[in-house]
Amino acid sequence: MKPLISLLILLISCFFSALVAVKHGAIDISVSAVWQTLFAYDANAFEQKIVMELRIPRVILAFVAGSGLALAGIILQTVTRNPLADPYLFGISSGASFGVVLLITFTGITAGWAMSGAAFLGSALAMTLLLLIAYGQRARQVEAMLLAGVALSFLFSAFTSLLLYWSDPQAVSAIMFWNLGSFSRADWQWLWLPCSIVSLCMACMLLFRRGLNALLLGDESAATLGIQVAKLRLVMLLLSSLLTAVLVAMCGGIGFVGLMIPHLVRFFISQATSIGLLCTALSGGLMMIWVDLFARTILDNQELPIGVITAAIGSVFFLTLLTLKQKRP
Amino acid sequence: MSAQTLVRVRMQSACQHSEFALQVSNLNLVLDNHQILQNISFDVTEGQFIGLLGPNGAGKSSLLRCLYRFFIPSSGQITLFNKTISSFSHNEYAQQVAVVLQEMPEHFNLSLYDVVAMGVTPHKSLFSSLNKADHELIAKSIEQVGLVHKINEAFAHLSGGEKQRALIAKAMAQKPRLLIMDEPTSHLDVKYQIQIMELAKAMGITVIASFHDLNLAAAMSDSLLVLQQGELYKSGAPSGVLDAQLLSDVFDVCAEVSQVPCPYRDKTHIPHIRYHFGYQL
Repeated sequence: MKPLISLLILLISCFFSALVAVKHGAIDISVSAVWQTLFAYDANAFEQKIVMELRIPRVILAFVAGSGLALAGIILQTVTRNPLADPYLFGISSGASFGVVLLITFTGITAGWAMSGAAFLGSALAMTLLLLIAYGQRARQVEAMLLAGVALSFLFSAFTSLLLYWSDPQAVSAIMFWNLGSFSRADWQWLWLPCSIVSLCMACMLLFRRGLNALLLGDESAATLGIQVAKLRLVMLLLSSLLTAVLVAMCGGIGFVGLMIPHLVRFFISQATSIGLLCTALSGGLMMIWVDLFARTILDNQELPIGVITAAIGSVFFLTLLTLKQKRP
Repeated sequence: MSAQTLVRVRMQSACQHSEFALQVSNLNLVLDNHQILQNISFDVTEGQFIGLLGPNGAGKSSLLRCLYRFFIPSSGQITLFNKTISSFSHNEYAQQVAVVLQEMPEHFNLSLYDVVAMGVTPHKSLFSSLNKADHELIAKSIEQVGLVHKINEAFAHLSGGEKQRALIAKAMAQKPRLLIMDEPTSHLDVKYQIQIMELAKAMGITVIASFHDLNLAAAMSDSLLVLQQGELYKSGAPSGVLDAQLLSDVFDVCAEVSQVPCPYRDKTHIPHIRYHFGYQL
């Protein structure tokens, strides 16, 4: 039972990584203080307050965002049968940026939940357009979706650039910060939303995993196994779009995770099993916990944007993969 | 197995033998204002091996797609074991009919086992996971196509013949009563072409396969269907169908057809085609 062991190792490492991430930060907190926060919380103790109000929601958000993006990635790669598909390829994050830019240029708001709301509405717009196109082009759904996704992505980027060109430098830097992604907005009040969407998504994927696997064979072969291909694809697309929209609204643009994690996990564990899906989600979360910790601690008194780190790791990862594949006979 | 059950099994198979597995009547298919298939009617007796022939673009794949419900015919009726095929649910139909296509899952690092395991999909409900019997069935199917030594290998790394055998194992795991194959032997070495066909025959169920190799089709099939420009040109036993006239009319080739002794049961002679070369068109 090799896959089961991997799942166990991942679970354990997620737990310990979360502990480490909670402990370290701008100020390091002792294990005993963390322990006390968990089991005997005292709201007056400064250290415990940091752990409870800042670190724990942040680590949870990082974990959930990482696993959510990995799941969205694996869904999109499966339904398009394109191992290079990524939640950000389909214009969903460009839609979010567009929403945020609209908000900033017309109302001047540069912070708070209005931004998340605008991002969500923007990505919902992109998502609706994409779903309509996929629904209208049932015969050649995959090609239509990929082309439409790229087109939408460029369309929204063009609008965003245009609006930014006309707006003031402060708005530009706010957008910049937004686009690069951060978990600093994590708080207990809104944490339920990404958690529930990611869980819902995981449950649906486990439930429909046979249909998803069959899609990998090809549309026609999947249909001959009794799968209603167009319907399943639309449902899965809706789920992954919702997931991406919520995550982009909460954390901004974090690229490459959705592309990289499924690739990496697929290398070791078959994605056709439920354990493979769970491992993908856990690996995404695990990676994101570490990326966030890295972003918080690498420079004193300064936080690096998450998107920068994931993109850097991602590109190195793909270049390594490329050279490794070349070396293999 | 006791003698009594053996008799019963024999009787069942004898009964089923007279039954029609598939009946197609007046099938028409129009796609984008093009008449793809026109007035096609034929019956397939259960247990027969049917070869579907015709030049490129004659409508072989379209006819098969109508049979496995990927295309919905514009008019006409198709019945599977005396039941209209549109009355089956998606799952029910997949439990009866397995299809081997040219689509291959190349990416995603799926193992041979993963691919064969997909065959049991129509027999599983949403919540159930693979049980011991499923795993045994999958392992048995892989053993039958002789790929046990490659069981954990990535599907993408298999050779063309092995991939095709794996897809047949997937079809076996599906436990169908009808197997449809769309050009299962194209791009394969002679050895694998024969092997694939023998495997399909060994399943002991009704098989409909489209062919490019006419000699292979003649040797393997109980009955042939020849399509030309969307119409059923001729059908029947190979020796009655394949002659020099048909080859020139349908396939536009000049050939000589001789009858050679056939090593298979209940057929004494099969047609053998020798093409002529070097003539001016």
